[in-house]
Amino acid sequence: MKTIEYLTGPNAELFRPAIVAGIAIALQASLLSVPVVLRRLAFIGQGVSHAAFGGVGLAVILGLMGTGAGGAQNAGALALIAAFCIATAIGIAWLSGKGGAREDTVIGIFLVGAMALGAILLHLHRRIGAAGGPTPPVEDLLFGSIFAVTPGDAQIAAWLTGAIALALWWFRRPLLFWSFDEPAAEAFGVPTARMKLLLLVLLAVSIVASMKLAGVILATALLVLPGATALNISRRLGVVLALSITIGLIGMLGGLVLSFETDLPPGPAVVGVLCAIYALAWPASRMARATQRTESLSEVAQSSLSRGAG
Amino acid sequence: MNTHPASVEFQAVSFRYPTGGAVLSNVSLRVEPGEFLGILGPNGGGKTTLLKIMLGLLGGYTGNVLVGGVSPKVARTKGLIGYVPQRNAAELSFPVSATQVVEMGAMRHTPPWSRGGSALQSRVQECLRLVGASSYATRPIGALSGGQVQRLLIARALAPNPSILVLDEPTVGIDAAGQQQFAELLSNLHRELKLTILLVSHDVRTLAGASSRCDRIACLRRTLHFHAAPHGLTPQVIAEVFQHDLASVFGDVHVDAHPASECCTHDHERHHPNPASRTNGTSGGGS
Repeated sequence: MKTIEYLTGPNAELFRPAIVAGIAIALQASLLSVPVVLRRLAFIGQGVSHAAFGGVGLAVILGLMGTGAGGAQNAGALALIAAFCIATAIGIAWLSGKGGAREDTVIGIFLVGAMALGAILLHLHRRIGAAGGPTPPVEDLLFGSIFAVTPGDAQIAAWLTGAIALALWWFRRPLLFWSFDEPAAEAFGVPTARMKLLLLVLLAVSIVASMKLAGVILATALLVLPGATALNISRRLGVVLALSITIGLIGMLGGLVLSFETDLPPGPAVVGVLCAIYALAWPASRMARATQRTESLSEVAQSSLSRGAG
Repeated sequence: MNTHPASVEFQAVSFRYPTGGAVLSNVSLRVEPGEFLGILGPNGGGKTTLLKIMLGLLGGYTGNVLVGGVSPKVARTKGLIGYVPQRNAAELSFPVSATQVVEMGAMRHTPPWSRGGSALQSRVQECLRLVGASSYATRPIGALSGGQVQRLLIARALAPNPSILVLDEPTVGIDAAGQQQFAELLSNLHRELKLTILLVSHDVRTLAGASSRCDRIACLRRTLHFHAAPHGLTPQVIAEVFQHDLASVFGDVHVDAHPASECCTHDHERHHPNPASRTNGTSGGGS
């Protein structure tokens, strides 16, 4: 198996950061994917992750992200891209909320706008050969690359996982209330606007963390598929969270192995495995729903029987 | 007795959205503690705006609003109003149990590091018991009927121990038998907990069901009109206020010259076969 060879061979140092970052990203994104799916933020996530491409263009032209960039520059690049993504998320939320525009329209505009900006900046960088060495290959940026992940990236991803998990735990009650029933949550004094902002910021941060490995286009897959699959299988919050994490980890590690074995880029490999799990779980979800329906029907029958008897 | 603050008091309140016309115009309202008031109004008549102002979610109105003697925003932080939203606003495929729904109301201000403690847990159980939902406390909400979810939302509203219960279109999507049980539940809560209850609906059937319990009925269409409702919601009363919009309020309920409270006890009369009587109602009041 190539995987074992790579991870134990003389060049193991080149592969290990991708594995560490992959596990960290899978954990944080799987946790986030549950509120993202419940709150229907999947498309906003797409918008934000594509916006990252604009941020990447900026980072490249500023010489922070070329192949010659060092660790400090790399951290700077991630911060810049994160700022770009958060600004996009807030822009979308603001324009579609107070601005009164349709959310899907706004997302559509931000998505293409940021992609265009990124493409123009990368093109300029390649043509004028600006700072930071040669321009990184666009395909790596779009679909991810094992070797783009540095030990620094893996470390940042691990820290971010801790921060995201802590934030989700700390705000679990208002987040749950807001996700479940926004108008009522507001009337009960839950700061709903702040909850949405918090989730969007966490989403943007997670996208940036997974961008190098999964690529700009596929970074949101992990923020949708684990939660969507888990929610198809169970209607118990604890079970959903546990399933989501399990599915995220299997998808990530399975995808990385697939990528090592077949030389596929990691992004498409991970997304492919996650999609396969989603499809395989489909019959299970139908069964879970049918069971639930039977349970509630039998309860209705019982209560009407007891009413009839009384 | 007149010195106590009203449960809800609107003094000459008007509101207009920046882009539209007046939604509320010179609305005055005083709801005494322990009163059961039904507010009936057509869609677009200002019900939602009235509720939002009452709940402290909407500013920019003229006039004065007091809830329990304080401003709506203060009342909201004190949890004076228990709010039961429209049921369809909640996501029913959501992975939460009945108990977790009620916990949302009980623990909304519990600090993150605390698990809530036994006092809060017993409060949650107490609220489930009050609405008769204990038997399905552990079930996921997706497996519950419309009426059962409705009870949960009431339990959640009761959890912060409010003195006022506000219900927004509570019977949408609930069948006739469920509506009857719902009216009984409200009546029991009103009696047992000495709650002030405000029930807002566009559907005359909802108020017809509850109107035998209501002390007064108010009709809202930009302005409020009050009617003592000793005999329930009479067609004459409604026709007066909804001269232009009867059809949308009544739907397929007939309007003829008998009190609406009778209407709900004679179920066979609910869907009146004679279209002439409906025309009679829409044209001006079944007089």
